[in-house]
Amino acid sequence: MIWEVFRQEKAGNYHTHCGNVHAPDREMAKQFAAIQHGRRKPTNSLWVVPSEEIGEIDAEDVAFGGTTDKAYRWATAYNTTGEDAVEVVESEDEQATAERQRGDD
Amino acid sequence: MELDTVKERAGPREFSPADDLPEEYRKAATRMIEFHANSEIMGAYLERPFIRQAPSIDRKLACSAKVQDEIGHGQLLYRAAESLGIKSREEMLDDLANGDGKFLNCFHYPMEDWVETPMIAFFVDGAAMRRQATLRRTSWEPYAHAMDKVCFEEGFHVKHGEDILRELMTGSRKEQQMTQEAFEEWWPRIIQFFGPTDDKSTHHDFAASVGLKQQSNDALRNAFLDQYIPKARKYGLEIPDEPRIRELDDGTYEVEEGDLDWDEFFTIAKNDYEPGLGQINGRKAAQEAVQWVRDTIEGDATAAGGHAPQAAD
Amino acid sequence: MTASLENPDDLDARERDALETLLKRLADDEFVLAERYTEWQVRAPSLESDLALSNNAQDELGHARLWYDVLEDLGYEEQDLVYERDPADFRHATLVELPFEEGDWADPILRSYLYDVAEKLRLEALEESTYPKIADRVGKIQSEEEYHLEHAQSWLERLADGDEGHERLQDALDRLFPHALTIFEPVNRDVESDIVDLGLRDATLEEMGEEWLSNVVPYLESLDLDVPESGQMDDDEFEFEVTQEMLPEERGRDGSHTDAWVDLYDEFTHTYRELGRSETTKIMEKPE
Repeated sequence: MIWEVFRQEKAGNYHTHCGNVHAPDREMAKQFAAIQHGRRKPTNSLWVVPSEEIGEIDAEDVAFGGTTDKAYRWATAYNTTGEDAVEVVESEDEQATAERQRGDD
Repeated sequence: MELDTVKERAGPREFSPADDLPEEYRKAATRMIEFHANSEIMGAYLERPFIRQAPSIDRKLACSAKVQDEIGHGQLLYRAAESLGIKSREEMLDDLANGDGKFLNCFHYPMEDWVETPMIAFFVDGAAMRRQATLRRTSWEPYAHAMDKVCFEEGFHVKHGEDILRELMTGSRKEQQMTQEAFEEWWPRIIQFFGPTDDKSTHHDFAASVGLKQQSNDALRNAFLDQYIPKARKYGLEIPDEPRIRELDDGTYEVEEGDLDWDEFFTIAKNDYEPGLGQINGRKAAQEAVQWVRDTIEGDATAAGGHAPQAAD
Repeated sequence: MTASLENPDDLDARERDALETLLKRLADDEFVLAERYTEWQVRAPSLESDLALSNNAQDELGHARLWYDVLEDLGYEEQDLVYERDPADFRHATLVELPFEEGDWADPILRSYLYDVAEKLRLEALEESTYPKIADRVGKIQSEEEYHLEHAQSWLERLADGDEGHERLQDALDRLFPHALTIFEPVNRDVESDIVDLGLRDATLEEMGEEWLSNVVPYLESLDLDVPESGQMDDDEFEFEVTQEMLPEERGRDGSHTDAWVDLYDEFTHTYRELGRSETTKIMEKPE
């Protein structure tokens, strides 16, 4: 049985997929994952999930974020004047980055 | 974990569902996140008629996307609250429907006209974003993670609200007047968004001591006024004479609390404000009307709401 | 193969009328359906389903925006096409204008299915349109519509599985089916012939209607639903012969609409009128 492994580097960070292990059950999957995926890189926590429990939908199945213009969803589409609050500026920057990345494919 | 240990460790994103946390922490966090989640839903409820009433296709798209985002934020926040093991999402939504769930003061007021939309979408959302930005450092990790996504999206809401305000205030004389009137009506409520001064706030001490809350009401209110008073003036809005706001030498503001209607504020906090009951009851009716659908797909609903609560310590 | 109609300024009156009629059918359907879908925002059965239906509403509205934009080539502005237009000039099918009863989730799901199958066929018939701007925009719209249809079918299958869901679906089908047939009604016979003769769309209303029936009837029957009038149809051929008795009193396409449409129109033009606006705000750049 295959188990997908998600690693969190530090407390508070996100668990991100880092690989998988063969193991007969959850208990042993955790033990194997601790060694295979936690022994070198900094690790605070690991999640193990049975591979077959993972559903996937990919860009061939659905057009993520749509195919027609949805610029209205982005802060960058709006005309305003004057200095913005720092948290608004941060959000707009994050959105601009995401928008660029979406356009890259 | 002992409460003292929680207080010692209480740093940003310090605690996760893997930690065995005292009930006091989990209850306080649930109360805070549930309030936040409820506010997203009730904010969306208040704004949804303006999807239809928006005066252009692009504005309609933006309003729909904004309301959609708020529901999405509710989804993220109820999950963050559920993961504390105290209440399921279904219980929280039922409480909200039954008038037991608490939410932001501003979303208790009915909203009639398009000119009011920037009062919510620019000022209230701007205020909310100020607070949310600080909550990215809250001690409950799932809450902080929800805030990452919320803050990412929220910039669009504030900008959209500001763009509507700009358009109204550069529009016809009539539009400007109507907007100014709406601003005068909403301004005291917006100031009250941050609650009473810290010495009157009941939940602040504990939430701050365990790292759930990152900034005091006073600090947040100051930061908001500092940013949004100049913005309001820039667009030609006149700040109402009351509540009196004094700018102090250190650049902070002092609001004359006696100029604000705290009876109304606390009536609202108890969900007893008469004009706002229509919103609570309207949403309740909507929720009950689709109960049959949830019953039909019950298998799913149980899986989503059935997160096993952590053993009580 | 009909010659391509490149420049809107070179169109004669007949071509112009055909193009305008086709685009209004397309744009008005999408616009009004989106308007109705948004009623489910903050009212759907769960937060997740709320997000999904909102997505579809925005998609449809985005498609309406693309078709209205093509109409702008003929000298119109958004306010002429939506906010200041005579409500009796709207060409949408009555299916999309009907109000929802609170909580009747079977209605938007079934309505979406009936509409999205027709939409799929219609878009296929526009892929080779002799008006290049139409053909160019079809692909973008199709990839979003795919999700709508799958979404509707997933829900239909789950709802049909429960007693109450099945009953509500049957009620909705009885009510909506006549209105769904108006999708294939003509604005008027002559202009509809011109649309096909000029190659703007390469299938007639009858052809699309037949194809639609051959899709929806077996599928709905597979969910144990009784399709109204299906007894009168030849099971193998799905001859598309819509009789007057099968249709609702109002046909939508010819400008006759239900009372609900007038109310809806008043609501979505309310702010525009109240503020005395004479133009609409654009946030996005003009579509390419």
